[in-house]
Amino acid sequence: MSTVTYLDAIRVALADAMRDDERVFMLGEDIGHFGGPFGVTKGLSDEFGTDRVIDTPISEEGFVGAALGAAWMGERPIVELQFADFISTCFDPIVTVAAKTHWRSGIRFPVVIRAPFGGGVRGGPFHASCPEGWFVGTAGLKVVAAGTVEDAYGLLRSAVEDDDPVIYFEHKGLYRRLKGEQPAATTRTPIGRAAIAQSGTDATVVTYGAGVDLALRASGTLNDSIEIVNLRTLWPLDEPAILKSIEKTSRVLVLQEAARSIGAAGHVLSLVARHAFEVLDAPPALHAPVDTPVPFAPELEDAYLPSVDSTAAALRDLLEY
Amino acid sequence: MADETTATEPARTPEARGENAPPCVDATAVSRATRLELLRLCLLQRAIEDRTMNLYRQGRISGSYYTGRGQEAVGAAAGLALGPDDVVAPLNRELACHLARGVEVAHVFRIFLGRETGPTRGRDGNMHFGVPECGIFPLVSMLGDLCPVTVGAALAFKRRNEARVALTFWGDGGMCTGDVHEGLNLAGVLHVPAVFVIQNNHYAYSTPTEREMVNTDIASRITGGWSIPCERVDGTDALATYACVSAAVERARADEGPQAVEAVSLRIHGHAAHDDARYVPAELRADYEARDPILRLTERLRLDGVDEDTLQDLTEGVTNAVAEGLAEAESAPDPDPATLEDGVYAMPVQGAERT
Ligand SMILES: Cc1ncc(C[n+]2csc(CCOP(=O)(O)OP(=O)(O)O)c2C)c(N)n1
Repeated sequence: MSTVTYLDAIRVALADAMRDDERVFMLGEDIGHFGGPFGVTKGLSDEFGTDRVIDTPISEEGFVGAALGAAWMGERPIVELQFADFISTCFDPIVTVAAKTHWRSGIRFPVVIRAPFGGGVRGGPFHASCPEGWFVGTAGLKVVAAGTVEDAYGLLRSAVEDDDPVIYFEHKGLYRRLKGEQPAATTRTPIGRAAIAQSGTDATVVTYGAGVDLALRASGTLNDSIEIVNLRTLWPLDEPAILKSIEKTSRVLVLQEAARSIGAAGHVLSLVARHAFEVLDAPPALHAPVDTPVPFAPELEDAYLPSVDSTAAALRDLLEY
Repeated sequence: MADETTATEPARTPEARGENAPPCVDATAVSRATRLELLRLCLLQRAIEDRTMNLYRQGRISGSYYTGRGQEAVGAAAGLALGPDDVVAPLNRELACHLARGVEVAHVFRIFLGRETGPTRGRDGNMHFGVPECGIFPLVSMLGDLCPVTVGAALAFKRRNEARVALTFWGDGGMCTGDVHEGLNLAGVLHVPAVFVIQNNHYAYSTPTEREMVNTDIASRITGGWSIPCERVDGTDALATYACVSAAVERARADEGPQAVEAVSLRIHGHAAHDDARYVPAELRADYEARDPILRLTERLRLDGVDEDTLQDLTEGVTNAVAEGLAEAESAPDPDPATLEDGVYAMPVQGAERT
């Protein structure tokens, strides 16, 4: 078994998906010979041709809409956004056309929108955002975020095989930092299913994306037994998995890199308030950045983002309540 | 004159309007059968819309109601210009395009009435529907959205080497959206078999075209700006429009890249049922009333030698079809609130029950 990065796993998943199914093709800016701004699609146009790895003009609204039209005709397009931040420019085809059409007409949109999100890369307000919260809660969309190398591969394969529009958030900070075994070509991460990244009994951390690795490292600094629920799918939420863990631990910390009032946390906390109230030994806690855009300067971004230390501190507060 | 043309006017037959309309051009390539079918489609759109407007006023239709009075020829022409395997994304004014693709009259009334067996099962009303079995994408209100979607459908045909075409419409108002620019640009760069029909009806809701764009010559802008061949045609002339759109469709099919047509007309009704369109100058309206597409086509058919009995039969057939379609739709079941959440997803996540 060879070791690959999170980024490699995404690239291999794209290649495997295209090899397995003629209907899969890609649209995006600079994804052809150049390989995309992060090199995720490097080499793919050599193998699959520029008719299948299609460089587009800077027209997010145009090519997301076009992906939907192609999907209407039975294709299975994958769209790459250069940065998740730019998803605001194609909000309408996503929340209007992609989200509402099946319910209104039965037309299926097997489209994957890849959105590189997250900070720690000194990207600032326009290149480091976590905009998943705009889509979490939107009926008709599926929203996923990989926090492990295996899920980077498995979630993408599942997303491509899914008949609904899936927004696939991939974390830029994990691209080269996270390494693991190359997932087998049969690996699929079921959409709608959370995973237990670490089992424990004293408290639950519910998190996703870069939060998974962060929670693992933070819990390693404590002597307590921490269970980590890796959401993997942010919408629709795997409600039973979240509640099951909290029933076991009676304490919950929701950890996310999106600002505290957006992201997936609000939905998780609402669920906890409604359905876990009676098993809780402490108020549900939230560890997330303040409500500002992502700042640029290292001093500011480091203060903004949850760290191993700040996450461990949040856990200690929860455990001591 | 003006009071006759407000949105409250009752349905009138072409005969009641005199027979002085300028006939459609004698586009020789358009067969007599096609001419008659164009007239039938225009008459059917108008009769359905007149009937529905009455239902709306009687409070039997919820929401609002939009008609395409004065623009029927464009939807009819484009609908007939497409082949059976082509696809289309119509907007509000193009009911005749749906009818040309084989959508049943009863199905149209089922959407207006919000019935369970209608195209959206009551989830949407008005002209906000499509019929996938007939290759029709459901209208999305956000103007401009359907342009890129159509480009994508055409891209699928190109990828698979299928000689199929995807067509969509938008208005002079929709012309100002960003999606239209992105879609046109993408269509050109990808060289896809898409056809764009721009319904320039002089107004976007209450705003005249001169307030929407500095250069109102949409055809020359599309030709010169996006390098997509675009011909301007008189949208009240069903035969000229049909010839023009057919040629565009066949060029697109022959791998000549995206094509466009600007069809000029006037929306004779207001934007929707609530709007009396008093912002339209009386002379402009009178000019277009005299060039009613149904009258013009009827005159052409008379010159072609079609007898009054045939024309009368056509009108009667349409009247009957509307009565039968409405009766059928009215007897259709209402949607069941228990089904509200059905179909949010094509592949619902199993077991993750919502609470
Ligand atoms: C993006 C967007 N903004 C506003 C509206 C509301 N609206 C619906 S139709 C319309 C006017 C459209 O004018 P035009 O495109 O010329 O088409 P017409 O109504 O004349 O057929 C407006 C403003 C909308 N549907 N979509």
